[in-house]
Amino acid sequence: MSVTVSTEAVRVDGLSRRYGAVRALDAIDLTLERGITGLLGPNGAGKTTLLSVLATVSEPDAGRVSVFGLDPGDAAERVEIRRRLGYLPQELGYHRHFTVAAFLDYVAILKEITDRRRRAEEVAMVLTVTGLEDRARSRIRTLSGGMRQRLGIAQALLGAPDLLILDEPTAGLDPEQRLRFRELLSELPGDPAIVLSTHQADDIAAICPRVIVLLNGQVRFAGTPAGLAGTAAGQVWAADERDNGAHLSWRGGDGRWRHIGEQPPAGAELVSPTVEDGYLLVSHAAGTR
Amino acid sequence: MTHISEDLLTSYAVGTAGAINLWSVEAHLTGCASCRSAVSAHVDADRLARNRSVLLVRAAIGDGGPVRRLLRRCGVPDHLLGVLAATPSLRASWLLSVLAVVAVVAVEAAAVSYGWIGQPAPHASPEALAPFLLVAPLLVLGGVAAAFLPVFDPANRLAVAAPFSGFTLLLVRTVCALAVALIPVTGIAFVLPGPGWLPFGLLLPSLALSAFALAAATVMDPRAAAVLAGLAWMVPASLLALAHVPLSIVQPDAQFACAAVLFACVVVLFARHSRFEMGLMK
Repeated sequence: MSVTVSTEAVRVDGLSRRYGAVRALDAIDLTLERGITGLLGPNGAGKTTLLSVLATVSEPDAGRVSVFGLDPGDAAERVEIRRRLGYLPQELGYHRHFTVAAFLDYVAILKEITDRRRRAEEVAMVLTVTGLEDRARSRIRTLSGGMRQRLGIAQALLGAPDLLILDEPTAGLDPEQRLRFRELLSELPGDPAIVLSTHQADDIAAICPRVIVLLNGQVRFAGTPAGLAGTAAGQVWAADERDNGAHLSWRGGDGRWRHIGEQPPAGAELVSPTVEDGYLLVSHAAGTR
Repeated sequence: MTHISEDLLTSYAVGTAGAINLWSVEAHLTGCASCRSAVSAHVDADRLARNRSVLLVRAAIGDGGPVRRLLRRCGVPDHLLGVLAATPSLRASWLLSVLAVVAVVAVEAAAVSYGWIGQPAPHASPEALAPFLLVAPLLVLGGVAAAFLPVFDPANRLAVAAPFSGFTLLLVRTVCALAVALIPVTGIAFVLPGPGWLPFGLLLPSLALSAFALAAATVMDPRAAAVLAGLAWMVPASLLALAHVPLSIVQPDAQFACAAVLFACVVVLFARHSRFEMGLMK
C-alpha cells in the first residue's frame, strides 16, 4: 500500500476581496506547498491583500482559505494558524523607542513564548540568523532602513513558523543583504512553507522553485520560474536599434535593445528569455503594461 | 601539582559533573592555567556561543525597571508586563502630559475658588470646578483610547497576526491605562476646593466613558467610538456648566446613569469580544 504525503500548506478557492469599488482579489484559486513560493506582480496587483488574508489579518469577502487544513474563519482554528505563522507586513511599524532585543522580546510574547529563558534563546537565535546580534541593544530609531527590514524578518522567524509570509522582504536591502537573505531562506530548518512577494524577478529566479504572477487581482501564471521564462521563448530579441513594433523594448546595460514580440526586428538575434522577460510578457498580455 | 583527570574535565565541560566534583574542579581551575587550557578543548564552542548570545540578549532586554520589578514581585506574570511596554498611555511622556493638564485645570479651580484671580469669593464656588469636571474623565478616556486604538500601536499588524488573545491584550492594557490615569485625576480632586465626595464622583463617569468607547468600537470605527464617547461627556458637562450647575454631572442622578451605561457596555464588550481578535485591538 502506498501512502501519499501531502505537501500542500495553503489552499485558496474563489477568494475575493474588495476595497470599496476596487476589486483587490478576483475569485483567486491557488495552492501553496512547502518550500518557497514567489508572488510576483506590480503595485496594486493584490499581493499585499492576498498575503494579509493568508496571515489572518484580513477577512475575505468571498471564497475559502485553508491553511494546513485549518479554517481561518473559525476562531479556534485561526489561533492555531497564528501559532504556526511568521508574518512580515509590507509596512511594518516599530515602537521606535524599543531596543532591537526588547522589540523581539515583545513580539515573542505575542507569539505566546511566555518563558523568559526560552524567549531570550529565540531572540538570540533570530538575531544571529539575521546578522543583527551586534545591534541587540540599539534603539530601533537608530537603525538604517536595511537593518529595520532585517529586524522585520527576524521577528517573523520567531517561534520557528511553519508558514512564513513575507511581504516585500527584500525592499530596502542592499545587494549583499539580498544575497544573505536568499541564503537565509534557503537554509531555514524544518521545511516551512514560505511565500514572499516581490517586484524583483531576480529574487524569484534565485530562490523560488515556484512562482505565481498576480495581476489585477487575478492569478495569471502559476508554475516554475523556468516555466515563466518559457512563456517568452522565441519572442525575446536583441538588436542594435529600437523596434517600435515590439510589445516591449528597453535598452540593456550592454547598450543593446532588448525586444519582446512575435516578429524579430531587422538584424535582431533570438536570445534566451529570463524570468523577467516572461513576467513582462504575461503582464503585457494581461493589459497591465 | 596534581591535575584534573581527562574524564573529569570532560564531564565538567559537558555539564554532567556532580556538585562536589564541580566545586573541586572550579577551585582547581582558578589556580591552574594548564587545566584551564585543557578544559577549553572539551567545550562545545557552539553551545558557548549560543549561551553568550542568550546572556547578551537578556542584558539587552533588561528587567524593565523598578516598576516592572515590583509588579513581578507582586505576582504579575512577566509576559503581561511585557505587552504593557508597548502601551503609549503608560509611557512617561503621556503621564507627564496628563499631569500637566490636570495641574492646569486644578490650579485654575483653586485660583478662582480662593479668589487668587478675579473677585474674592466668600465661599468655594462650584462653578470654578467646571473645567476640571469637563477635562478629568476625558483624560482617563484618552488614556484608554491610546491603549486600544490601532493608530497608537505601530506594530499593530504583528499583534493581529499573533496568537496572543486580542481581548486579553485589550483588557490588560485598558486596566493599566485606567489605573494610571485615575490616580492623578482623583488624587488632585482630593485637594481641590469642592465637595468631599468629588474624587469618588469622578470614578463612575470615567469608567462608563471608557467602557462606552470600547463597546462602541465593536460596532464602529474605533476612532469614531472614542470621539463619540468624548462627546457623550463634553456635551452634557458643558451644558450644565453653562447653566451654572456643573456639579450636577457627578451628582446622584448622573451616577446612576453612568452605572447603567457601564453595566450595559461591559455586557456588550464581553458579548462581542471576538471582534477584538480580528484587527481592531490586536
